[in-house]
Amino acid sequence: MASRDIIYLSATELGRQIHSGNVSPVEAAEAYLERIEEVEPTLNAYITVLGDEAIESARQAESEIAVGNHRGPLHGVPVGVKDQIHTAGILTTSASKLRADFVPDEDATVVRNLKRSGAVIIGKLNMTELAFGDPITSAFGVTGNPWDPPRNPGTSSTGSGAATAAFMCATSLGEDTGGSVRGPAANCGLVGLRPSWGRVSRYGVDGASWSLDTIGPVSRTAEDCAATIGAIAGHDPRDPYTWDTPVPDYPSLLGGGISGLKIGLVKEFTDPEVSAATPETLDAISVATEVLSELGAEVQQVTLPLAPIAGLASRTISAVERSGLHPEWIRERAEDFHPNIRVQLMTAELIPGTVYNKAQKMRSMIRAQTLEALESVDVLLMPTSPAPPQVMDLTAGINSEREAASWLSDASFRGLFSMVSGPALSILCGFTTEDGVELPLAMQIAGRPFDEATLLRVAHTYEQATEWHTRKPPI
Amino acid sequence: MSSLTNEEVLAIARAVDLEIHEPDLTQVRLSLNAILEAMDQVDIPGLNNQEPLPIIPPQEEADGQ
Repeated sequence: MASRDIIYLSATELGRQIHSGNVSPVEAAEAYLERIEEVEPTLNAYITVLGDEAIESARQAESEIAVGNHRGPLHGVPVGVKDQIHTAGILTTSASKLRADFVPDEDATVVRNLKRSGAVIIGKLNMTELAFGDPITSAFGVTGNPWDPPRNPGTSSTGSGAATAAFMCATSLGEDTGGSVRGPAANCGLVGLRPSWGRVSRYGVDGASWSLDTIGPVSRTAEDCAATIGAIAGHDPRDPYTWDTPVPDYPSLLGGGISGLKIGLVKEFTDPEVSAATPETLDAISVATEVLSELGAEVQQVTLPLAPIAGLASRTISAVERSGLHPEWIRERAEDFHPNIRVQLMTAELIPGTVYNKAQKMRSMIRAQTLEALESVDVLLMPTSPAPPQVMDLTAGINSEREAASWLSDASFRGLFSMVSGPALSILCGFTTEDGVELPLAMQIAGRPFDEATLLRVAHTYEQATEWHTRKPPI
Repeated sequence: MSSLTNEEVLAIARAVDLEIHEPDLTQVRLSLNAILEAMDQVDIPGLNNQEPLPIIPPQEEADGQ
């Protein structure tokens, strides 16, 4: 099979072709490395590309499969990993000068799990510095969006979105605090899943916000997303917050359709009278909702009056928790941060304890209200982002209080479900055109804690009825 | 509530042993004021009596699926 044909396969289809012997894992790794060489100068999606290591892992996968030891749907499949996730013996920078020389001694649990599933780690993906939500802050340069490189690929897992969409890896891992898996999935036209808090181990992942961080897949299809989360999920004694609860066989639960499924449209983000989303975003959500109705879902409007303050609570909590991770860095090495990150960390240091406590109380009420809504519907639906990906301002700083306030309120779109602790998935649901460029739009589907399977089933069913996911970025 | 001035921000920073210089200082002031003012405007009935979220949700949430 030609290199280009290999990289255009979904991760799970590639896995099937490898299992059946039509494609060798070495061929697959070489095809992806060739693609990385081709487009990396434009996108800057990787911090470290693991050429020799990937080929060696692929050879091992080939040998195992040849003797009948097939490990699962990702065996031999090239996977990219965000650079805040530890990889033994391999540079892990969190895209910061402060971690520029850090080489961990051991793998994060999610990396160990990926390797156990037979996946081939092909590289460490670029991100925003220390996983903050500012796209221009990586110490290793800005990552471009494959649909239009000057535009934001979505933060903070910038490389996870760009590399997966541009066929530089078959699927990838990101980390989602206030939306860092769902944002890149939305901006790059992919499927991204923030799992329930406690579903996936955070052991060996450089933290952003200890009570909000989750590790999740950024993939090209719902099936790929199901296979990737299946590979990494599960109880880990080394992360005391993971739950000792069975991990479903997600790919096997994708079928069955959505007839009778109750979907709640979140009024505060989907009603044109009150939503901050652009008209084209709301149009795409409206059309997607019609598709889901035709597929048998029962759609109704639900109201979550506290949802619009979720971004404020999420930003406040994550800011304070980030500032507590390495308080010595901002005092001793302030000049080593990107200026925008330095300002955010310094701001976080000055937030009073009473304000942090109030934000946690808000979180509690937002969570209770959302879970109550999920007693009457199976999933909630709304846009992932208020607008399509925008051109990045490479000189950005904070120029007004209004600008700073807007940054807080925009965070509600994804911050809402970060507050809830349940799963939330972003999936491509249309395109719009700006300045002659086709740009992806996305919807977000959220569910009850530990019910990732229902979200994946809705996404898969929707995908089978639409063609959006078959479009390729022009790069 | 009234907005903090640069001098007040510097005083708070000194209390936590943090040095802030321009141009960062003005940006920190804008960001901090935005957060404090937005939080000050949040007035939800019952909020004061609410306990902050326990980080570990009840086990039955997981077992129920």
